[in-house]
Amino acid sequence: MAEAIQKKLKAEVEKYTQMQKDVSKNMSARQKLETQLTENNIVKEELDLLGSTNTVYKLIGPVLVKQDLDEAKATVTKRLEYINGEIQRYETVLKDMEKKSEQHREVLSSLQQEFQRAQGLAVGKV
Amino acid sequence: MAEKGKMNIGHLGGVARLREENEKVVKDCESRIQHWQKVSGDYEALNERLKTLPDQLSYDIMVPFGPLAFMPGKLVHTNEVTALLGDNWFAKCSAKQAQKVVDHRMKSKLCCHARKDLETISSTKGDYVDIREDTGNDDAAVTKGKQRIARKPHSMPKMDAVLDLKEENEGGSGDGGSGNGTLTEEELWARLDELEKLEELQDEQDRLSDNADLNGEDTSSVSSEEEKEGDAAPPVNGLSLKPSWTSRPHSEAPPSADRKAGEDDEEEQEEGSCLPTIFFSHTIEPKKVRINTGKNTMFKFSERKEQKEHSKKKKKNGHNNGLSHHELHKITTPVDIYRLFVDVKNGEPVPRKSILKSRSRENSVCSDTSESSAADFEERRVIGRSFSHDEATHSDTSDDSPTAVPQHPASRFEAFSGTVVEKEPMPSAVPHLTIAPPALPTILERKQEEVTPDVVPPQQAPKRVSKFKAARLQQV
Repeated sequence: MAEAIQKKLKAEVEKYTQMQKDVSKNMSARQKLETQLTENNIVKEELDLLGSTNTVYKLIGPVLVKQDLDEAKATVTKRLEYINGEIQRYETVLKDMEKKSEQHREVLSSLQQEFQRAQGLAVGKV
Repeated sequence: MAEKGKMNIGHLGGVARLREENEKVVKDCESRIQHWQKVSGDYEALNERLKTLPDQLSYDIMVPFGPLAFMPGKLVHTNEVTALLGDNWFAKCSAKQAQKVVDHRMKSKLCCHARKDLETISSTKGDYVDIREDTGNDDAAVTKGKQRIARKPHSMPKMDAVLDLKEENEGGSGDGGSGNGTLTEEELWARLDELEKLEELQDEQDRLSDNADLNGEDTSSVSSEEEKEGDAAPPVNGLSLKPSWTSRPHSEAPPSADRKAGEDDEEEQEEGSCLPTIFFSHTIEPKKVRINTGKNTMFKFSERKEQKEHSKKKKKNGHNNGLSHHELHKITTPVDIYRLFVDVKNGEPVPRKSILKSRSRENSVCSDTSESSAADFEERRVIGRSFSHDEATHSDTSDDSPTAVPQHPASRFEAFSGTVVEKEPMPSAVPHLTIAPPALPTILERKQEEVTPDVVPPQQAPKRVSKFKAARLQQV
């Protein structure tokens, strides 16, 4: 009995750790997106500051490619929106994962209790 | 009661661990703060550069070619700047516009990051405060201890680094950390006071050694001071001299300024001079060091030499043996060294044969009879050489010449006897050697002079000055 419970416990613990890892991955990805968001915000503001007198370049690999100012502005806004969307998506995923991990935690705790009871019984028996 | 006690202990353990974790976070935040401060400093420097860049049309600069090489070149189009806007976007703009970009970035980007870190730190510090309030003295003591431990690696050699860290700490923490900050500050001030005292002591010692005689007492005390300094805040000079210094407690005391100035040379000199058994140390001129420093020392130098000359002159015949031995132990001047090279024949010192060829010495530069010490050195060296040279060339006068020549150094101090330091009839190529009376000296003349040494000085004494002139006139 106790051994079976122990095995179950181990399996559950592994699942739980896996869940935790996923959650942390999600978190880091989301953080990246957030930094990108801030960056793009700054770029947008600076582009607005500069006005249309100067040329804008985009770094694609080792090449600086000339871009039109309006095009650049449009690109940047589009990117901003994209990033926002990504962040939203990640947030939802994160929430789901959190719920799942909670469930797992509950299962784990119950299993642990059973295990302890079984252990206690075994000790009592002996 | 016991249960409560157990609970408290458990609490303390947990709290300690929590505090450790907090400490880690605090350190992390501090490092990040440093990073951001560096970044902001960079941005400010950039701002300055942008301000001054358009002042000139073009700058002459050294352009880096890779990590190790530079090429001279020009910086043109000084107003055109390609600025990174972020996220791989660049914009070509004027210097002023670039400045605007920089300012904007500083405002939005750096501030929020730095603020985040500051907040985290303040919150953790706040935790510190809370803990302290809950449990009272114990935790307070522990936190103080922890602070000290954190500071210790910095406290010894780098005071500045510690002060900077502390400033950051205080800047970041606000009220919470200020209590801890003051404690460590006090420690630092105490340390500074100690070091200042040590420095003052050292300065006093230096002053003393400057004025000191050739006693070893000062050196021993100085050496001890040096050791102290070496422990506390090791100056490179002190350390390098320490081993040689302590091994010779009875050495002469050169001024500390010179000690610090010329380390290796003086070390060699010192070693050579204090051990009387070492004769072949031509590099020794300890008194030279003294002479460089001040007039007092120079006087002492010459005084000593005079005494030596006096004693030598008085006890010329028969007493020289004893004197030479006595003087053997007193090597204070280069002349003394040469005196050591003499053999005693007939109760008088006879210089040993020189290893130099006679030819070379003829043409060797003999110094003027100026009264500067440097010239005096060379003269005596010349005289020393002339000792052996005389022996080599004029065996007839070998007995007489050494007696005559030793008069010279003595005479130079008291009264110029007018004896010649010439070996052969010299060509006019070496005119400055002729200290002689107008008539060019020959061997005969020299003999005459030696025969009547007593007669000569009184005659020559009044004409002392004029003889130089005469010699010069003759040369002309």
